[in-house]
Amino acid sequence: MTVALEMSDVTKEFDGVRALDGAWFRAEHGRVHALLGENGAGKSSLMNVVCGLYAPDRGSIAVDGSPVRIDGPAHARALGIGMVHQHFKLVRPFTVAENVAMANRLGGRWTDELALVAETIERYCGELGFDLDPQARIDSISVAERQRVEIVKVLMSGTRILILDEPTAVLTDDEADRLLAVIRGLAERGTAVVLITHKLREVHDFADRVTIMRAGRTVADEDPKALSDERMTELMVGSAPRSAAAARSGGGRVRLAIEELAAARDDGVAALAGVSLAVGEGEIYGVAGVGGNGQTELAEVLMGVRSALGGRVALDGEDRTSAHPGERRRGGLGTVPADRYLYGLTADLSVAENFGLTGLAAGRYGTWWVASGRMRGDTEAAIDAFEIQCHGPASRSRLLSGGNAQKLVLARELSGGGGILVAHSPTRGLDVRACAAVQSQLLEARGRGAAVLLISEDLDEVLDLSDRIGVLNRGRIVGEFERPANRHEVGRLMVGHA
Amino acid sequence: MPDRAAAAPGRTFRARRFGRLNLEVRQSIGRFKHAAFIAFGLGVGLAISVAILLAAGVEAANIFDEFVVLTFFDRLGLSSVLIECSPLILVGLSAAVAFRVNFWNIGIEGQFFWGAIGATVIAIFDVGPPSIRIGLMLVFAIVGGFLWIVPPAIFKIRFGVNEVISTLLLNYVAYQFVLNQIYGAWQDPRDRFPHSEAFDAAERLPLLGWEKVHLGLLISLVAVALVWWLMQRSRFGVYMRFVGANPHMALASGIPVAMTIFLAVGLSGALSGAAGFVMGAAQEHRLTGTMAAGYGFSGIMIAFLARNNPAAVLVVAFLIGGLYAAGQSVKVFYSLPQALVSLIQAIVVMCVAASDFLVRYRVHWLRGDGR
Repeated sequence: MTVALEMSDVTKEFDGVRALDGAWFRAEHGRVHALLGENGAGKSSLMNVVCGLYAPDRGSIAVDGSPVRIDGPAHARALGIGMVHQHFKLVRPFTVAENVAMANRLGGRWTDELALVAETIERYCGELGFDLDPQARIDSISVAERQRVEIVKVLMSGTRILILDEPTAVLTDDEADRLLAVIRGLAERGTAVVLITHKLREVHDFADRVTIMRAGRTVADEDPKALSDERMTELMVGSAPRSAAAARSGGGRVRLAIEELAAARDDGVAALAGVSLAVGEGEIYGVAGVGGNGQTELAEVLMGVRSALGGRVALDGEDRTSAHPGERRRGGLGTVPADRYLYGLTADLSVAENFGLTGLAAGRYGTWWVASGRMRGDTEAAIDAFEIQCHGPASRSRLLSGGNAQKLVLARELSGGGGILVAHSPTRGLDVRACAAVQSQLLEARGRGAAVLLISEDLDEVLDLSDRIGVLNRGRIVGEFERPANRHEVGRLMVGHA
Repeated sequence: MPDRAAAAPGRTFRARRFGRLNLEVRQSIGRFKHAAFIAFGLGVGLAISVAILLAAGVEAANIFDEFVVLTFFDRLGLSSVLIECSPLILVGLSAAVAFRVNFWNIGIEGQFFWGAIGATVIAIFDVGPPSIRIGLMLVFAIVGGFLWIVPPAIFKIRFGVNEVISTLLLNYVAYQFVLNQIYGAWQDPRDRFPHSEAFDAAERLPLLGWEKVHLGLLISLVAVALVWWLMQRSRFGVYMRFVGANPHMALASGIPVAMTIFLAVGLSGALSGAAGFVMGAAQEHRLTGTMAAGYGFSGIMIAFLARNNPAAVLVVAFLIGGLYAAGQSVKVFYSLPQALVSLIQAIVVMCVAASDFLVRYRVHWLRGDGR
């Protein structure tokens, strides 16, 4: 076996946040390498460095034994490195052959070239055991088929090092098994395959070697047969002792109740398959889980921007399953969305308007003549109380940094005083200080008797803040834990095959 | 499916390079600088226009006289500008209200026609006592314009049908209906020309007693005040801003998004209908097939230049009215073709619109060493 790729001491910072911190990685031709880690552990960042998408701040890369400086994606392709991203890079109204031809110019007249590409696609499909129609439009084929198009596209450009970013996340079990068999076949023909994943089952069943990352560092490089599930989970989630638990203050009457909630993604695939949980007064209920297991859909259904396909959502015992967001807010709900500039803020409008909107909708600033002076005053008070750094209430919220934008959202959602809060990844992308500020605001809200549902992909955050934890896996709560929760048990349910 | 990438503002710091020209997206701009850039665009547009007029044989001294002195500082000239701008203000407001909630109302002319039809029905069938007939005509015009935009509004809100197509095509339906009536049942029995019979004295808007300026101007000014209050001072106005700028966030914040869009769009139709009324009852004094021509695009242009701000609509409509009035007299006195007049109007508007580029980007030249 020859070494295909060797990376050492790779470091990459984004705005002061270390995504990679001296990470190293090694892959050989003819083998399947699993790259395992939690969300944000640095797996994707490391592979983006290999693909030439990120330039590392420090570190060295060698391809087929010779050291290289990868200038960009085109250079990476020339070196025989190809990556299938989680979000496919396909042009939807075009056919399979057109998409493949765009990435692999064979020369000649476009129509001749297309015919040639179509032939080549069919040859590859024959070798790989794929079933693909080169003339089908991307729109009309399934997610699994689109992934095959991506794989053929990458292989056709002479890829010898194939990186797949969580390829099974979008597939059904059967499709995933078929894909993994194909990957195995590719490795047997000499390709070095890197499989980014956080599913232990795939590591055990399909990988020859596993590299485990945590917090930007490489923490293990082993034969998966030598590692137990428990040991892998421990390496993934770490075993650092957590800070002393804040005592649970209440846990009184149930304010937010969810029963057998079902919902689908935009493309119709089931995302929630009967989620049930209840959050009481003065309690933080943490939903832990690996991203893509229904977190976004759960948050959106609760916000009222995605319709539930079944089940029930009740605020203080009142059924609000299909209520308009305004009605939910009158029922006491506040929401902190994961994507701040989609559901949380309007970038082009002022800080004061963004802060005052929900109060305005609740009738606090008048109907016929908006009390803009009072709104500005309230905004100033919130800017002081939440330490939001900005150029005053009249400045556009586009100018806020991520942390300050999130504080503004939080200030608004807590100002309603309804006492029920759904927070989805409230600290994603924030620096350490802003992160701590947001977390302490959540704890303070709980102290005042709020019922908080914290949906987060950051396990540390869930463990730190929650009084109870539910693990969301494939659209179901697969286990509940009381504080203090056992980190490894939670981690095992998160990555287990539910 | 909401477009997440487009909603993230963090990505606007990008700098683009074209040789030594470096473009940087502005994060914010001061009021004075903003006004200066628009004035710069206006200046460039006027300079090009002057060059064209000179090339066409108009003397330099006369250009200033025609476009400024005789248009804005002359009794007859100013009065014709005021007459010209009354319907322009209304269609400008109509476009501004709809655009504020991101509804591209291309059907202003259709709603204009239905406003005129509503007024005409009252007038030619002598509905109601003469003392309130003119008021009744206004009400029917507003209802006519409103009803004509209701189907596209509902199709857009309920089924996501593209309003650009639906409102645009309904213009032709309205136009063909008007032709059907003026060549048929409503044709003027007196001269057999393709227009309705002339309105009686009680069915015409009274003059204000200064040249030929009529009550339509007051109606437009009242509309500006009402729309300004609604958009800039009322709660509904804040709703409109959020619905237009980020409907996802508006919905999640509990705003009645669909109702906001429906009411704003309905108001847009009603304003276009009122413009049709002013045109019919004060200028044409009858229903004609050409009365709406050009008002759709004028309204869109005015709203665009005014950044959908109702107070600015008033100013822009006044200036555009001046441009039209001056264009008409230049056409007559210097026997210039209509195309040249339209060309000048288009160039001025385009240059002002293009100044938006400087508002959005900071442009600077890189030094020789590439920095």
